[in-house]
Amino acid sequence: MGVKVVERHGNTFKEKLYLPAIFSGMRSTLKHFTKNLSDASNIPTICYPEEKPTDITPRYRGVHRLTHRKEDDSIACVACFMCATACPANCIEIVATPREDGIDEKMPAIFNIDLLECVFCGYCVEACPCDAIRMDSGIYSVIGELREDFIYNKAKLLSIKGISKEEYSLGK
Amino acid sequence: MNTVLILLPLVLTILFSLATVPILVWMERRIAALIQDRLGPNRCHINGIRLGGIIQSVADMMKLVFKEEFLPSHIKNKFYYLVAPSLAFMSAFLTFMVIPYADNITINEKTYYMQALPTDLGVLWFLAFAGLGVYGIILGGWASHNKYAMLGSMRATAQVIGYEVAMGLSLVSMLITYGTISLNEMVTYQSQSFFIIPAWGIVIQPIATIIFIITAFAETNRAPFDAAEGESEIVAGYHTEYGAMKFGLYFVAEYIAMAASGALIVTIFLGGYQLPYLNTNDLINNFELVLWLIIAFAAVTSIIFFKWMKKHNIFEMPGLDEKKVYATLIIGFTAFAIVVMSYYALGFSEGSSVGVMILQFAIFTVKLFFLHFVFIWVRWTLPRFRYDQTQKLGWNILLPLSLVNIFITAIVVVGVNYGS
Repeated sequence: MGVKVVERHGNTFKEKLYLPAIFSGMRSTLKHFTKNLSDASNIPTICYPEEKPTDITPRYRGVHRLTHRKEDDSIACVACFMCATACPANCIEIVATPREDGIDEKMPAIFNIDLLECVFCGYCVEACPCDAIRMDSGIYSVIGELREDFIYNKAKLLSIKGISKEEYSLGK
Repeated sequence: MNTVLILLPLVLTILFSLATVPILVWMERRIAALIQDRLGPNRCHINGIRLGGIIQSVADMMKLVFKEEFLPSHIKNKFYYLVAPSLAFMSAFLTFMVIPYADNITINEKTYYMQALPTDLGVLWFLAFAGLGVYGIILGGWASHNKYAMLGSMRATAQVIGYEVAMGLSLVSMLITYGTISLNEMVTYQSQSFFIIPAWGIVIQPIATIIFIITAFAETNRAPFDAAEGESEIVAGYHTEYGAMKFGLYFVAEYIAMAASGALIVTIFLGGYQLPYLNTNDLINNFELVLWLIIAFAAVTSIIFFKWMKKHNIFEMPGLDEKKVYATLIIGFTAFAIVVMSYYALGFSEGSSVGVMILQFAIFTVKLFFLHFVFIWVRWTLPRFRYDQTQKLGWNILLPLSLVNIFITAIVVVGVNYGS
């Protein structure tokens, strides 16, 4: 067992005086200030609404979307209520209806997500047995003027497209 | 003319204390941003004019003024609760009244003081009201009936009492050095030269300067001594229960106290309104040369500013073109100033002394804003001291140090006076 003895700092007179350390700290902050004042172009902030972020990872949880079946492009959701049950914020509202076209037994008649309640935890995506709900839309800013604007219904959720990994890195 | 000259220092006091608060808030945010590699406020604008973001702090002030006032129902002593923020505000404001903004001016054989309160007891007035400021804080904390507010105000009070002693003693050593208690005479003393260096307080009394600056930070509850506030341990501190303009008064009081301490540091340690090597008489006698130098200086700084604007003001805003507006304003103002200055220099008999007075206001303002910059710069460099560390520093280090400093100063002064 090697015991590593850590040297204690702060016992010399110079360190106890504090002023040299304070002045060197102030010098380093002043360096930042003068550098940024004389040339603001190197500041790494982005001016958000005009410039979009370019470093969003593919695992980012954006606004939800409902997927379509590969065979006939109909809704993949079978209204099993797994997502609504898993949801800790109770923001998913589903009303099921029998599916008449013979592809499956059930489908949702109403599928609403209240984005003001949603905590974007991603449990619904994990819970879904049919891969019907995903959060890979890449939409990170949800804007509305009324509370109703934030309740996304079935048609809206189906209309959102998922974006590819390349598009993520472009920060679409 | 009489009334103008008598009211001028009062108007300046209001300008330096109240009107600079939005500018100080803006400086705080902008300097903080630049130190931390951010941009800071730059969007808020009135028809395209942003003034570098000052509009945003003006909007903040307006918001505070028009917010709804309400009293928490658990407060029993409503009078004390309401009077506390105004006490803090008033004492901070009154501290400013004794600062000399320029040398005494003699017009038609009548002397006018450029202090809002033309008293010789300036230092005592400052100490009295700087100490009174903490009454607003302790009263607010007590009247809030809130444990966290009470704790915050107790911490502020203990700290202010601890540092008041060291501050007073470091001032005593300055009084011994200058041999006077009048702030104006102190500034006159600092216009001398001491061998080849100007006899500013910071040169002849470096230890007293350091002690005074540290205690001024503590007295105004600025970082790193802002133990009165502590988000992590006492919610917000003494103003937890205050909202809207009652909080606004505390907020403004802190900035005015900072401005007042900065003004006193400038007056006592940084030569006040004086330029090094040039006292008031030199300036008045060579006023035409001074005018030309000012005009050259204004031209050079405007060119530098225009270049900087061209490079950095790149946002396209709807409305007026900011760069053009600033250019017009600066050129117009410079031309106006030149015309007024030359009119005074040529036509008006007391013109040069009035011109020197204006120049001294400008010098004072520049020094004061440098001090504001230092206050903000320190705030974004040093972390907050722990409560026991502030107490230890105040009582165990600064107090003995200032006593030793008085002792040495007294010996040197007596030796110089009686030796020669």
